[in-house]
Amino acid sequence: MSGKNEILRDRNGFDTTEEIPRGQFADMLPLSQRAYLEITGSREKDGIFELGEKAVVVGRSTECDIQLEVQNVSRKHARVLLHNEEYLIEDLDSTNGVFVNGIRVVRCVLRNNDQIEIGGVKLMFNEEKRLHKK
Amino acid sequence: MKTPVEEKMLVTFWGTRGSISTPGRTTEKYGGNTPCVTIENQGTRIVLDAGTGIRNLGIELVREAEAGTQLLGVHLFLSHTHWDHIQGLPFFQPAYLKDTKVTIYGSPKKERFLASVLKRQMDYEYFPVSMSALTADIRIQEMSEENLHLGPITIEWEEQGFHPGGSVRYRFSAHGRKVVYATDVELDLIFSGDHRTKEKEAAARTYLDFIAGADLLIADGMFSEEEYPSRVGWGHASIPAVIDAASKSGVKQLAIFHHDPQHSDKYLDDLWVKYRSRYLAGPPKMDLFWAREGLTLAV
Repeated sequence: MSGKNEILRDRNGFDTTEEIPRGQFADMLPLSQRAYLEITGSREKDGIFELGEKAVVVGRSTECDIQLEVQNVSRKHARVLLHNEEYLIEDLDSTNGVFVNGIRVVRCVLRNNDQIEIGGVKLMFNEEKRLHKK
Repeated sequence: MKTPVEEKMLVTFWGTRGSISTPGRTTEKYGGNTPCVTIENQGTRIVLDAGTGIRNLGIELVREAEAGTQLLGVHLFLSHTHWDHIQGLPFFQPAYLKDTKVTIYGSPKKERFLASVLKRQMDYEYFPVSMSALTADIRIQEMSEENLHLGPITIEWEEQGFHPGGSVRYRFSAHGRKVVYATDVELDLIFSGDHRTKEKEAAARTYLDFIAGADLLIADGMFSEEEYPSRVGWGHASIPAVIDAASKSGVKQLAIFHHDPQHSDKYLDDLWVKYRSRYLAGPPKMDLFWAREGLTLAV
């Protein structure tokens, strides 16, 4: 490795490595958290829905943030919310339940690639954390 | 017919890991906190074990109390007093609130009394706050022969051998439904092995009777089939042993619990894929899954 450095130093004519001021790193620290539900099996609503800080209600009703016009879906079926910087899903006492990776749940903290099933509609959860530059 | 919501027991996993907490990216799905589970029904709240998972539970309980939605009364049942099952207690925030009542239940067969074991964990050499400084009304009660009734929930218990120092299994019944918590027991020694003794036969019979027909069994399944031969005598069950016992006893739903600290999310996912499909179709039909932190089920 030192051989490679020697070549660079020779080519560019540097004698020493210059320190980078700490402040330049601090500028890049803020993280943005983004999460998505990838919906399949609903026909009309298939696609990617981005989650935010506001709770999202999933159901058959037109009042829902994600409206799934499927007979096995209750009018207000489930809610996805941000709690302690984690997304979780709650069953709103639906008839056919909320399943996460095949397990019927009342409530479940969501992790990447969790497969949610609501009345036959599949919703894949994914989240990412990105540095955002000012 | 749909069971009324108020009749269901809500079971939440706050810590599912065995032996030692395992924070990090590779364990975030199933969780890194050591055992803690809650069972709630009609305002009665039961806590099972005080592993590191009890810290997050405590934060939620204090939040609820501050919002005025729930009075803080906690019934904590310990399976035993090994480190991973009591280590979170000094960090349980409700224990520091004077309006809280915490009753801790455990085996009467400890060599040292339960109270003294818990107090020693908070000895000044190990922790800066002594147990006597906790401001909550804390009572320590060893289990008696009689069944216990808390609100609508009936609690039965049995001593378990086949774990260093022993452990206790509990059965919680309400509205005709049963949840069994049976962790830290080496079922392989009870159900197999070269030497069948009367003690093993009796242990097998009582275990199967106790879990029979459970709507949910939360059970130690720490080791894979391949790992177990090099861990005989460690006091924990292999996954095939617990699945076999549960399916023989008509258990409806089995939560594999007390995950080995070395088992990553991917490793547990692979085990889940390997075993789940075999039992989902039946017979015997059994819903099998690996317990994960932050999961609440209705039983």
